Amino acid sequence: MFGFIILAVVLLAGGIGVITFRQPVHAALSLVATLLTLAVTYITLEAHFLAAIQTIVYAGAIMVLFLFVIMLLNVGGESSAERLPGLRPAAYLAGLLAAAGIAVTAFLDPRQLPSAEMIQAALGGGGAERVGESLFGDFLLAFHLVGVLLLVGIVGAVSLVQRKSHELAGDAGAALDEPERELTRA
Amino acid sequence: MVATEYYVALSAILFAIGAVGVLTRRSAILVFLSIELMLNAANLALVAYARQWSSSGQAVAMSGQSAVFIILALAAAEVAVGLGILVAIFRQRTSTDIDALSEVRY
Repeated sequence: MFGFIILAVVLLAGGIGVITFRQPVHAALSLVATLLTLAVTYITLEAHFLAAIQTIVYAGAIMVLFLFVIMLLNVGGESSAERLPGLRPAAYLAGLLAAAGIAVTAFLDPRQLPSAEMIQAALGGGGAERVGESLFGDFLLAFHLVGVLLLVGIVGAVSLVQRKSHELAGDAGAALDEPERELTRA
Repeated sequence: MVATEYYVALSAILFAIGAVGVLTRRSAILVFLSIELMLNAANLALVAYARQWSSSGQAVAMSGQSAVFIILALAAAEVAVGLGILVAIFRQRTSTDIDALSEVRY
């Protein structure tokens, strides 16, 4: 329980950092901390393979992509000017109500956790072997569809950021403003 | 071992933090970061329930963890396309303020 409280405090602090830091880089690094703590939480839940994948794919690849784009676009901090005055308190109230609703419902219906032997027998520590058996068994169709999705994602991302050939041929650089030139050089 | 309720409550709070971030943030990149937070909160609940359902056998219990694996791949594809869209928008208007993108409605 003590370990869980430490993990929960770090997770919540990281999450609050994501939505309060003004600089995008700080918010992204706060999310990295949250994701790494979440990987540790997966280990306490007998999901060792997912913890490794979470660290490598999420905290590694996806967040590097985020930081790369933030630095490439050179996004500054947000201005504090409010356009909808009542939005911020209303959003916090809605979030608080939703979280409290789910949490109270979970605690109103407590379930006995299965014995340690039963968890070990069913999950086997959540190793790659068990996840693989499930992925290539029950989840075979979903696994294939994810492959198609990744292919479509790659093609989509490349075609979105591709420059038109006539843009490349002409002297586009003079007409571009400063951040645009930054992008071209990168 | 810590009971499942605590993990579900933690996941609900993380999800709510992400939702508040989506509602209050102005820059599209920061909205994106909040969405990632919400995805991960849902993953935490799935992993917690995978352990809770151990008594129903290996296939049922492991399906929770497999779903998380698939969601991770989905998040990777989503981030690649989403950031591509952001870069394309930034090229046109040199800003990622979502309030300035209101013509996407029509």
